[in-house]
Amino acid sequence: MSERINRLQIPMEELTITPGSACQGCGAALAARLVFKAIGPNAIRHRIPCCPDSTTAHPSANSVFESGGAMLTGTWRGLKAIGRTDVQVVGFFGDGGTYDIGFQSLSAAAERNENIWVITKDNEAYMNTGNQRSGATPIFARTSTTPVGSVIKGKQMRKKKIAKIFAAHGIPYIATTSVGYPEDLIAKINYGKTVEGFKMLIIQSPCPVGWRYDGSKTIAMARLGVQTGIWPLFEIIDGEKFKLNYKPRELKPVTEYLKPQARFRHLTDENISLIQEDTAKEWETLLKSDELGRVLL
Amino acid sequence: MIGIRIHGRGGQGAVTASRLLADASFRDGKFSQAIPMYGTERRGAPLVAYVRIDDVRVRERELVHEPDVVIVLDPLLSKEQSVASGLKKGGLLILNSKLPPEKVEIAGDIKIATVDATKIALETLKRPITNTAILGAFSKSVGYPTMESIEKSIRKQFPGRVGEMNIAAIHRSYEEVTPVVQATHTEPVVEESDIAVGGYGVLKDVSSWRVFTPIIDLDKCTGCRSCWLFCPETAIQWKDDRPEIEYHKCKGCGICVEECPVKCIAFERVVV
Repeated sequence: MSERINRLQIPMEELTITPGSACQGCGAALAARLVFKAIGPNAIRHRIPCCPDSTTAHPSANSVFESGGAMLTGTWRGLKAIGRTDVQVVGFFGDGGTYDIGFQSLSAAAERNENIWVITKDNEAYMNTGNQRSGATPIFARTSTTPVGSVIKGKQMRKKKIAKIFAAHGIPYIATTSVGYPEDLIAKINYGKTVEGFKMLIIQSPCPVGWRYDGSKTIAMARLGVQTGIWPLFEIIDGEKFKLNYKPRELKPVTEYLKPQARFRHLTDENISLIQEDTAKEWETLLKSDELGRVLL
Repeated sequence: MIGIRIHGRGGQGAVTASRLLADASFRDGKFSQAIPMYGTERRGAPLVAYVRIDDVRVRERELVHEPDVVIVLDPLLSKEQSVASGLKKGGLLILNSKLPPEKVEIAGDIKIATVDATKIALETLKRPITNTAILGAFSKSVGYPTMESIEKSIRKQFPGRVGEMNIAAIHRSYEEVTPVVQATHTEPVVEESDIAVGGYGVLKDVSSWRVFTPIIDLDKCTGCRSCWLFCPETAIQWKDDRPEIEYHKCKGCGICVEECPVKCIAFERVVV
């Protein structure tokens, strides 16, 4: 389990080369900055198509969506063959490369339990190409491929529970975190660095352009996501042991998270109560899992 | 036929402006064409869009390489790119700027009109989206499309309250735009260069992306590191237990202003 750290323990060294070409107030750029602070310089970072969040000085190769897991596997096996097992192999992918297109090769890599990092910055749609819906898009969200019409308003399907899907592969470590909680994010990477095998971190990183809110509210939005229970912070070890990292006495109502985002502007009271019910149900399951210390679906 | 090139930044609505202009001209009985230039239009990154307006059907399909009119939606873009590049002799440059046209440092045999569209947009729309605010200036300086047609196009594009706010903006810019004058500068300030659109990687200086600039009041600072921790671009560095902003990295997103627990960071409109 990850060990809590405080703000003074966050490394001062910056590994991202800035200014990058991300949008103003980009959550993913912040995610990249924090992740590579914790990962450190001794790593190889691979990319697949995603938002141009940030550039780091790590050795890197670009490939296609579908081959993220395969590329990381090859790199790790190569390093193992030459005896450089100290190097972290990191894939910093978007949600499309994890939830949808990249899923098959990541799933295969998880099954083989390769010693790699898969880090997802989840901005809940294909933001780089102009906000097309993905498996990560939450229910009722407006995107350019699920617009608000007179009959169908926004996406009609729920978001995939990707953390539990990967946990079901029995991988050594998977955790969710958020850019609103950098201490939690860095603590989880610190723990993951001590683990051998397939490690995964899913970071909710709000996107001001696609979610349609003011760029200055990125951190506030990430925090609200956690505080309302929409994006719970937890970790699962060996596909079984479970810990909920953020447990407020009471969750905030989901409207606090939904209202500031114009992608949810069309929501009716019925829609909101459905999201609230879903969230409450999931939260109850998580609390029960936390009590038992073992993951429940 | 006249060709128009619109310069803007992602989020200022250059593509919408091109569509509105083409739509309004069509309502006036002309033939028109709007061409967005697709790149990686991230919020804040420079981009261009094109419009053609003619009395007969427009057959061309390529980009407008030698425009008659150039519209610049961003006040600082002209310091970074040669916005007048390719502009025909005697062509018109409509600039979003506080400065009167005589003081604009752009050289060439061109005419210039300016309007402070950012101010108009901030006052009427409450946000620095300058695309509609500059269309009134275009209508006044060029003579068409008529304001009635632009109003109709805006109502179609933005139904309801947002449309009315945008209409207020075009009327203000129609009133406030300066008369067209001949450019007085002879020496170009910005080197002639290809017009860059978007692009990945590491940039040198993003100060011109900002509309508002954060300024830290170090006397009130408690040293909590929130601004340093949450800056996506590492623009705030921690030196001698105090934050220091490296302004060439700051895109002006305002996260530091929002996150400062003692509110010691001011957010001001400063011309950089």
